[in-house]
Amino acid sequence: MASAAETVERRRGISYRTIARLRHGSLRGIAILYLALMIALPIAALIDKGFERGLTSLREAFAYPGGKEAIILTLQMSALAATVNALFGTMLAYALVRYRFRGRQLLSAIVDLPLAIPTLVTGVMLGVLYGPNTVLGKALASAGIKVVFAKLGILVALCVVTLPFVVRAVQPVLLELDPAEEEAAQTLGASGWTTFRKIVLPAIRPAIAAGALLVFARSLGEFGSVVLVSGNMPFKTLTAPVLITQLASQFKPDQAAAVAAVLFGISFMVVLVTTRLVRTQKGRES
Amino acid sequence: MRPRFVRGAVRVLVFLAAFALVAAACGGGEGDSTASGGECTMAENPAIYLVGYSTPREVYGKIIPAFQSMWKEKHDGQSVTFYESWAGSTTQAQNVINGQRADVVVLSLSSDVEAIREAGLITYDWTKAPDDGMVSTSVVVFDVRPGNPLGLEDFDDLTDPGVEILTPDPAVSGGARWNLVAAYGAAMRGYAGNQEGDEAGATALINGIAKNILTLDKSARDSIQNFESGNGNVAITYENEVKTANEAGLPDEAVYPPSTILIENPAAIVDVNARAGCVMPVAKAFVKFLHSREAKEMYESVGFLRPTDLAEARKGDPANGFPPIHDLWTTADFGGWPALDELLFSIPDGIATKAIAEAAG
Amino acid sequence: MSDIAVPVAPRDAALRRRRRRLVRAGLLAACLTYLALLLVAPLIGVAWTALEPGWGVVRGTFSHPDVLHAFYLTAIITAITVVVTGFFGVVVAWVLVRQRFLGRGLLNALVDTPFALSPVTVGLACVLLFGRGGWFHEFFAARGIQIVFALPSMVLVTIFIAIPFVIREVQPVLEEIGTEEEDASRTLGASVTQTFFRVTLPNIRWGLLYGVALSTARSMGEIGAVFIVSGLIMGRTETAPLYIWRALEERQTASAYVVALTLAAVSIVILAAIEWFKHKRIREDEA
Repeated sequence: MASAAETVERRRGISYRTIARLRHGSLRGIAILYLALMIALPIAALIDKGFERGLTSLREAFAYPGGKEAIILTLQMSALAATVNALFGTMLAYALVRYRFRGRQLLSAIVDLPLAIPTLVTGVMLGVLYGPNTVLGKALASAGIKVVFAKLGILVALCVVTLPFVVRAVQPVLLELDPAEEEAAQTLGASGWTTFRKIVLPAIRPAIAAGALLVFARSLGEFGSVVLVSGNMPFKTLTAPVLITQLASQFKPDQAAAVAAVLFGISFMVVLVTTRLVRTQKGRES
Repeated sequence: MRPRFVRGAVRVLVFLAAFALVAAACGGGEGDSTASGGECTMAENPAIYLVGYSTPREVYGKIIPAFQSMWKEKHDGQSVTFYESWAGSTTQAQNVINGQRADVVVLSLSSDVEAIREAGLITYDWTKAPDDGMVSTSVVVFDVRPGNPLGLEDFDDLTDPGVEILTPDPAVSGGARWNLVAAYGAAMRGYAGNQEGDEAGATALINGIAKNILTLDKSARDSIQNFESGNGNVAITYENEVKTANEAGLPDEAVYPPSTILIENPAAIVDVNARAGCVMPVAKAFVKFLHSREAKEMYESVGFLRPTDLAEARKGDPANGFPPIHDLWTTADFGGWPALDELLFSIPDGIATKAIAEAAG
Repeated sequence: MSDIAVPVAPRDAALRRRRRRLVRAGLLAACLTYLALLLVAPLIGVAWTALEPGWGVVRGTFSHPDVLHAFYLTAIITAITVVVTGFFGVVVAWVLVRQRFLGRGLLNALVDTPFALSPVTVGLACVLLFGRGGWFHEFFAARGIQIVFALPSMVLVTIFIAIPFVIREVQPVLEEIGTEEEDASRTLGASVTQTFFRVTLPNIRWGLLYGVALSTARSMGEIGAVFIVSGLIMGRTETAPLYIWRALEERQTASAYVVALTLAAVSIVILAAIEWFKHKRIREDEA
């Protein structure tokens, strides 16, 4: 029985190897071209524009009214969002995996909601509920808590938009964990917290870190929800992405590109570390 | 059955792709005129791309239909389509320079139109048009809560403790720059509790105002909306923004300082684009229309127009809601926008730039 | 020194059970409160605010040509993006998994890049490339083709944003299923195309559909990049999210909320698809 290779060879007279290589090569070429044109090219343009005058553009961007503060604020808020969602994300993942309750599927779907909702709509939603003219907003304001047009609003917006990340990172790891180990510890008299701390936490720690880093990277660049909710006040609630749009629309595209490149550099390193963490996790499991 | 599912899915995807590409191809190009090697034939239904700053969009909602019906009458029922874009004045100028199609621009500051001219897209002297190219005027006022509970009367009142001011970010908004220039100019002219010509006093006034600024929004419209949602107790803004708000049923109240600046907003044909799009006749007619009595009346109806003549503007039209101004002046009294931009808004040493940075730090 | 205590007596066990139940209740309460404050209540708030003025406002909003065009534009951009990223996504995933070559690691890292870039940055890069002074500006301007401040750039930036989704969902599936079935099919005489459509594609379909659903949702919601490149031309380059933003600025809050609610409703439908495909994908994993 002739193999496919022999049939092809006989029909075309070219070595099957060559055809296979051509096919592989053209597929690879398409993939490389696609990624080069769509991704590498824009990044190159960015770095080229941002640093065509060396570090001058970056320095000018920092001198822009509110520029330096915007970058610092963005880093702070992103780190905070990562921490908050690390905590709540882990709790949610634990509840979704270890507990059985009515509406568990629904809860899981709600957790994924931010993946589907446009970020601008998220901003609208938060404004509708916590805006200064709403019932809730006014009540909170009288207690001295300002959500919309304040830093807290930025944090809330970031937490909403990045909510699923830690949950989805931790869930599969928790699923793999054999509950028998925990049960054993419990029967031996360990408290719930000790069990969690000694058995569960070490296992899920890399996953929490990976999820939190993803939250951080995503928050650095978040625009749609923050722009509606923060008030974009320089020195107070102006974030780096909004700063970039301002610089870009004020005849300062080089400064915008410089800030954008720096932000990109930070998130890219974060994402690299995250993927490595995930790979190590998977490696440890296999 | 897996193969059937796959075949069906592929068919759906191919159909979607074809539909999307065809629709996209059809979506662009309607109403676009063609220019082929020197020949210029205007399309049957020409399209004018109008790029404007953020505040006058409502009044153009009236002006454009009026122009369209006037054109229809004069040109055998030909209908003109308008594509409008409204955003911050400087942003729009930059986008036009970057390639956004604009046949006519209507901006907040003449320096933004100048930028477009310097980029080579406007090749004629647009200030030769009637009124030096300006199509709308207004004055800087204070927008206060009903009854003016804080009794604000002049720019130095804004520096009182407890006053929370809303004004847009001058780095980003044309309106913000009008506001701060008004304050500085009034002080330099001997008002707002300052001696005439006292630069130190005028600088102190700007510093005092900056300290009381509650938030810097990204546009004039954002700023006044922020005020309306309950923040702050005064917004520095255009007279016409207060009137637009009143027309929308909001209780904004205007306080006119004794000395303030006449805001002059230019309109110009971006002739390079208009010629390339073969719509010069329409663009010319439209800008001419903006200077016409009919358009002026529409501007006035939303509080937009004080007469472009300075003496007339000072008198105002109290019967129609335009109070007289004690001391009205223009940017020309201070060397025009280039000089004012340099003095007040240059980074990092402009008076206003420094004041805001210090107030925030 | 161990911190696991000695085996306990039954009375303590009952106490322990009760404490566990309290912890569980507390944990669930905290989680539900978090979700309620951040997601559920705001969503209900939008629904109520949009529908409270009555059905007339809804009808009025949907009869406005700008609104209809905005939805249409969002749909077109999303459709093109999904098809392009879907097709090329499968190609890239295949190449990354089934081939070994120099630079594969770099290519892999490139795929993750859109996750690390603010959409605003993407828009800026597009203007830098195709706007005046950009590397490609002359080429297109000479041919009268408008890229920036027109539909093409809006599609390009949305594609950029959506690139990783299909690739990242198809890659692991391709790795898991291995090459056995495909090899078998080839040895039995099937052509490459036949093998792909009859063996590979059905095997990766749930991963693929999951990635497609995610990229659909992401494309539909894109605003940061589109805001910069669109030029905000009403009735021409205004997507649904951009319309909402403008309506809020023009004090037309009623129609802004109606459109926002519509987008939220559509995303919930897409969410259902996401959950369904995820579920099927996990099932397949277990099988």
